[in-house]
Amino acid sequence: MRTIPLEAYLILSFLLFGLGLLGMIARRNLVTVLMSMELALNAVNVALVGADVHLGMVEGQIFALFIIALAAAEAAVGLGIIIAIFRLRKVESTDEITDMRG
Amino acid sequence: MEFLLVLIFPVVAFLVVGLLGRRLGDFPSAIITVLASSLSFLFSLYAALQAIKNPVHVPLYTFILLQSKPLELGLLFDTLSSVVATLVTFVATFIFLYSIGYMRNLFGQWTYKFYAYLSFFLFSMLLIVLSDNLLLLFFGWEGVGLASYLLIGYFHEQRKATNAALEAFVMNRVGDWLFLLGILMSFITFGSIRYQEMWEKAHLVDPLMLSWACLLLFGGAVGKSGQVPLHTWLPNAMAGPTPVSALLHSSTMVAAGVYMVARLHPVFEASDTALKVIVLVGSVTALMAALAATSHTDIKKIIAFSTMSQLGLMFIALGLKDKLAGSFHLITHAFFKALLFLAAGSVIHTFHHKVHDIYEVGGLRNKMPVTYLSFMVGALALAGVFPFAGFWSKELILGRAYEASFGIGVLVSVVSVLTAYYIFREGFVMFHGEERKGGAHESEGVMILPMAVLMLGSVFAGFGVWWYGSLMGKEVHIHGDTVVLSLVIALVGIGVAYGVYVRRWLSAEELYRVLRPLHTTFREQFFTERFYHKTLAGGYLLWSKVMHQTVETLLIDGVVNGFYPLFRSVGGVINLLQRGKLNMYVLGIYAGLALLVLITILWR
Repeated sequence: MRTIPLEAYLILSFLLFGLGLLGMIARRNLVTVLMSMELALNAVNVALVGADVHLGMVEGQIFALFIIALAAAEAAVGLGIIIAIFRLRKVESTDEITDMRG
Repeated sequence: MEFLLVLIFPVVAFLVVGLLGRRLGDFPSAIITVLASSLSFLFSLYAALQAIKNPVHVPLYTFILLQSKPLELGLLFDTLSSVVATLVTFVATFIFLYSIGYMRNLFGQWTYKFYAYLSFFLFSMLLIVLSDNLLLLFFGWEGVGLASYLLIGYFHEQRKATNAALEAFVMNRVGDWLFLLGILMSFITFGSIRYQEMWEKAHLVDPLMLSWACLLLFGGAVGKSGQVPLHTWLPNAMAGPTPVSALLHSSTMVAAGVYMVARLHPVFEASDTALKVIVLVGSVTALMAALAATSHTDIKKIIAFSTMSQLGLMFIALGLKDKLAGSFHLITHAFFKALLFLAAGSVIHTFHHKVHDIYEVGGLRNKMPVTYLSFMVGALALAGVFPFAGFWSKELILGRAYEASFGIGVLVSVVSVLTAYYIFREGFVMFHGEERKGGAHESEGVMILPMAVLMLGSVFAGFGVWWYGSLMGKEVHIHGDTVVLSLVIALVGIGVAYGVYVRRWLSAEELYRVLRPLHTTFREQFFTERFYHKTLAGGYLLWSKVMHQTVETLLIDGVVNGFYPLFRSVGGVINLLQRGKLNMYVLGIYAGLALLVLITILWR
């Protein structure tokens, strides 16, 4: 059984995290921003699993599970907020949510 | 514990009526108030019987003022305090009862507030009376000030009432400020503010310091007791409901100043300067208020000026080292002054609170026999006719004044003549002569009963003079010549009033025309009030206007407006960072994170 090299894990993780970051900064649609956040979180998961396999760190799996649970909870809350805002304001772009502007 | 109950009942009534009054309704609130004060009276009577021979000291708690000197707060029941506490609760109970009838037409309009204030007032006064140190007394002092403000301004739809309340409060504030300084001065001088220690050390401390402390404390008494120069609030306080006037001017608030001086009498006696000042202030006030009362025509204001003048007499007695005469006059005065006010209130009430001037009414003798009788008994007692209560106490003061110096004696005699004259002038104008206003009828039973009880007090209270003197440990001397003199005085005053206002030997209108300048001077209290309002208050307002237009607009506003553009531009820059764009915020977060990572990498 050939193991996948650590570099592959890390490159994938970096690419995914970069994509997530780009999505969070550049996209204006609320749902897309949320999905980009999930992408970034999963990128970290990939890195952790890689560390688990290659460096013998059992905590990697535990952390990854934690992050998956947290991401699920966060997605639920985030979606709830987005739906509430949408029902209230009929907006879906981050630029239009400026009620709390100073 | 049973001693504490005297104080606890009014507090409980105040809290219950104040917090639950809306739910209870006005009439039950009134009943609770009367019940609480009557229970308080019973317990204070019990306490007085216990404490009259051997004083009882009730420690409450120890208040750590400074690390080395714990201040023990407590109550002190001795002869003076227990007798006065009994008197206050007794008179207050009947005034509260009377107010049920007087305020009847206002029931259903939040009148429970009125009763809550009354209970609070009674509690503060009892705190003044029973305290064993100046700090607790000061709490009561301030409480009475607050309660009087609330009660005088009770008819808050009337501009007059709110102004009077404000004036009473501000004038008392001046006095209270002096009083507070006096307390601090006493603490510096005696190292304690407990009466016991102050009495003991009175002759051992530095006389100069002592005089200062006494004068400052007396300044507080001047404010509370409406003496010159802080007197203008007292006649104006008549804007409040009549039961309040009766309560304020018979045994409570204005008596607090006299009571305080009587309480600390051993201390005041040690300072000749303070005694001289007290006699001087008392004399000026007694004369001025008596003159003012002769030329006013407002039903209640005449009696208010009378109070001022009688308090002046009490201060004269105290200043002449006669604690017995001063405090005994306080006691008898409470009875007949409350009675006079209740009778006046009965007249006002029968005309539905629409009458203020004595010349608006007349010939009420047949319509309101009980009120007439009450007023006349009160007036006779005030004029000092034998055997009414006022005779005995005024007798003592007169005798003491002639002993001290002929001048003061003459002054007291003149004041007494004027007193007899003005009070009978009011009585004759209101109750004799032809009817000027119809529709009068006798007041209801709940108002008659207190008047009857106080009438008994006004007739018989004077006979307690020997008993009271023995309690005070003083011999009571009634001199034959002063007895004759005081009777002559009273009869002259009454005779003049009778001649002018009943028999019309002299036309009152003619006299007014001839004596107009004098009349105006007396009515305006030698223009003191006008001076305060126009010169002091007006001058201050003018000064503030000038300051506003020059310093405020030019200097302060210039500086503030000069800084405005700077803040505005900086704010504009910062405002770019908070535009509400989520993506920019996320960018900021990651930029910061990248910066941190960069720093950690470069740090190695």
